[in-house]
Amino acid sequence: MSLESKLRNIGISAHIDSGKTTLTERILFYCNKIHAIHEVRGKDGVGATMDSMELEKERGITIASAATNVEWKGTPINIIDTPGHVDFTVEVERALRVLDGAVLVLCSVGGVQSQSITVDRQLKRYNVPRLAFVNKCDRTGANPYKVKEQLKDKLGLNAVMMQVPIGLEDKHEGVVDLVSMKALYFDGGDDGISQVVKEIPADLVAEVEEKREELIDALSMFSDELAELFLEGEDLPEELIHEAVRKGTLAREFVPVFLGSAYKNKGVQPLLDAVNSYLPAPRDVDNIALDLDNNEEEIVLKSDPAAPTVALAFKLEDGQYGQLTYVRVYQGTMKKGDELYNVRTRKKFKIGRLIRMHADKTEDINEAGCGDIVALFGIDCSSGDTFCKTGLNYSMTSMYVPEPVISLAINPVDKKAADNMAKALNRFTKEDPTFRTYVDDESNQTIIQGMGELHLEVYIERMKREYKAEVETGMPQVAYRETISRMAPFDYTHKKQTGGSGQYGKVVGFMEPLKEGHYEFVNDIKGGKIPTEYIPACDKGFQASLKKGRLIGFPVVGVKVTINDGQSHSVDSSDMAFQSAAIGAFKQAYEKAAPEILEPIMKVTVEGPTEFQGNIFGSINQRRGVIVSSVEDGNYSSVEAEVPLSEMFGYSTTLRSLTQGKAEFTMEFLKHGKVPKGIQEELIKEFQAKK
Amino acid sequence: MVKSELINRSPLRILEKSIQGGVGKGNIGVIASRKGVGKTACLVHIATDKLFRERHVIHVSFSKRTDHIISWYEDIFNEISKKRELVNAVEVHDEIIKNRVIMNFSQEGVEISQILKSLEAMIVSGNFKADSVVVDGFDFDNISDEDLDLIKDFAKDLDLEIWFSVSLKGEEPIFDEENFPVELKSIISKLDVVLTLKYDDQSIRMDVVKDHDSDMKEELHLMLDPKTLLIIEE
Repeated sequence: MSLESKLRNIGISAHIDSGKTTLTERILFYCNKIHAIHEVRGKDGVGATMDSMELEKERGITIASAATNVEWKGTPINIIDTPGHVDFTVEVERALRVLDGAVLVLCSVGGVQSQSITVDRQLKRYNVPRLAFVNKCDRTGANPYKVKEQLKDKLGLNAVMMQVPIGLEDKHEGVVDLVSMKALYFDGGDDGISQVVKEIPADLVAEVEEKREELIDALSMFSDELAELFLEGEDLPEELIHEAVRKGTLAREFVPVFLGSAYKNKGVQPLLDAVNSYLPAPRDVDNIALDLDNNEEEIVLKSDPAAPTVALAFKLEDGQYGQLTYVRVYQGTMKKGDELYNVRTRKKFKIGRLIRMHADKTEDINEAGCGDIVALFGIDCSSGDTFCKTGLNYSMTSMYVPEPVISLAINPVDKKAADNMAKALNRFTKEDPTFRTYVDDESNQTIIQGMGELHLEVYIERMKREYKAEVETGMPQVAYRETISRMAPFDYTHKKQTGGSGQYGKVVGFMEPLKEGHYEFVNDIKGGKIPTEYIPACDKGFQASLKKGRLIGFPVVGVKVTINDGQSHSVDSSDMAFQSAAIGAFKQAYEKAAPEILEPIMKVTVEGPTEFQGNIFGSINQRRGVIVSSVEDGNYSSVEAEVPLSEMFGYSTTLRSLTQGKAEFTMEFLKHGKVPKGIQEELIKEFQAKK
Repeated sequence: MVKSELINRSPLRILEKSIQGGVGKGNIGVIASRKGVGKTACLVHIATDKLFRERHVIHVSFSKRTDHIISWYEDIFNEISKKRELVNAVEVHDEIIKNRVIMNFSQEGVEISQILKSLEAMIVSGNFKADSVVVDGFDFDNISDEDLDLIKDFAKDLDLEIWFSVSLKGEEPIFDEENFPVELKSIISKLDVVLTLKYDDQSIRMDVVKDHDSDMKEELHLMLDPKTLLIIEE
């Protein structure tokens, strides 16, 4: 078999604290990639191998997705460890883009939590087939069957148990495999390396039979042969069952559910077997590129090693020897010494070093086949760039990047910090498309923008640790927008006489609210009242006015401007003059157009014990939030609300104190919504005071 | 049509007239029918009418997911606004849904006391000034007089009216000679308004079979549109 028919590119996605990093660590261990087991919050101070950044070790969370290559029973597997916190969702999204399959890790106690829902939605968006692994079966309150039901109810997945637990909580010993109908134990005394296969314990036989029937019943949809044998009560060949599971999984119509406890070394190897058996190889998946020479027509890439190379840079990292670029090869082969073309920058470059990554260790290789995930050294590029063999001009479908919703002013403490900060910002913006930076030309301050408080906090920490750039930060600032709410006419003449040739331009027309999009310009001038050559200058003048609204200095969106009359002067009119006239006209009409301030509204999900429901409702109400729904499931409740971002600062602290630390929340950007009148006035006052 | 006109011309004004202005604060109204006749659509229409009138509504449900309920509201709103050619439909929609909260209970056999406790948390701690609560899909099989008293006291204390949908599961005939649901006879004194839905030829008819303490039983002449499930005039 060729490489691409055996290779697996998988991601491990989960809610924070479901034990994803521990699971990854165990996978590396069983695949002989590491020689000892470390924990995420390692007592031995070493930390799990995949958490390569110090900060992640400290916080016990995984931020950057490191790709690592392992081999399980002869099948190479590239694992992308994806972050679990919603503020880093773009990292998850980018990782998903290059995956062929995923393992959705769930906590056997917490079940399907809000983050699992977000992650699952992303997996669906990128059509990623998945397996589910119910982890932490050794925990008090473990109930893998409940989690499976939640996968069905909350995520609408056709989830079916592939295993039955042998004991739960502190009695969790192993699993019964419903395909081979054998009991698997992991207590061989060598960290679970040797599995012990036994007969099914007598007290589990009835449960196992029942679950096996459920499994076969669900699989009969995918295999007529299996359905027939089952109906006739014949023995079912294991191979036939495997085939049906694989077929259903690849079609994304079936989600096999495995279980165990990574921490206690139980159930990890069967999960790896399942990755090999059920998740797709690169050639099982169609990948689409856009042909930029042909009106962005969609092209299905060929998983043929001889075809011209197409690869995608999906992740940048600072390595010991400069920038490390993680790429996925989609078509053809990538060889050391090859020349490739960066479609975005239109620059050619040569592949100096080609590397296979194992968390923090690297291995030099000479070529990478199609479907493979490898890293390049010393290539100047941004995350999301497509590399092609010279002659091709394909771009991999652009990745969805949300607009930042929050900004923060940062000031380096001294000259040295300033230099380092510049380096750090340059790196971060290349790595993370949702992290942006600019210098405000009025205050001369450096502003960073991102997807949430935590998102920006992490970068500030990284600046300090990795780049020794100490910065002072201002108050987080919400990314407001301005818009207009009614039609308003303008009739403006720009006239200046300063000796010699003057400036003259007159524009007449109106502005009105635009339902979709940020800005539209309509030229409705008849009879050359404004000569055609000056029309673009008018457009430019209006666009310049949109950059800073007149209410609070934020960008203006949702405006349609129509010009229908005007006047020019044969000597004094110029591009400059008409641009100024447009700026004047905008100023004139804007106030009459009843301008309004828009603010980012977040979709907030709070989950916690039902006893704290009242406190949670109250805290949302106090934050100008609108509760959309609440769902009670026994002692556990989840509340979904829409809350303005400006009211969410410090919410994690409030929530913690209101619920004794037992509730948690996630949020993501939903839409821009109108700011209430009173607050609009306050914001304007603040802006005036600053001026 | 603008919103105020839409409210005035709603067929629900006819319903209100025939039940003395409405169920009333501190009272219980019930919509009873066989499964699948259109109770949920009715409740959502009644709730949407309240929302149009700037009232606050809590929708209590017992389903697996809340998105089905939200899409009921979306469908009913869209049908009404399409039919009446509502002006500024998007703005009206965004404005009114702020006054609606869905509270879903996914565990089986949840107690009345727990539901009331959660409602109170929403209304009092969450400062959500509900005028009406519509409860869809609550199992009336084992409801006792004490439970109903509890509900009525709650409704009185918090100054709201409560609508329930009741699925009639018994054997035919499910209605007695006065058209009253047989299954609800034992608790008739606790219910203030009872509406029934039943198939009548090709259409679904709505009848008032109990109206507070009045004996008057006028023909309502309301039915459900078989396509949109909106309440319409006959």
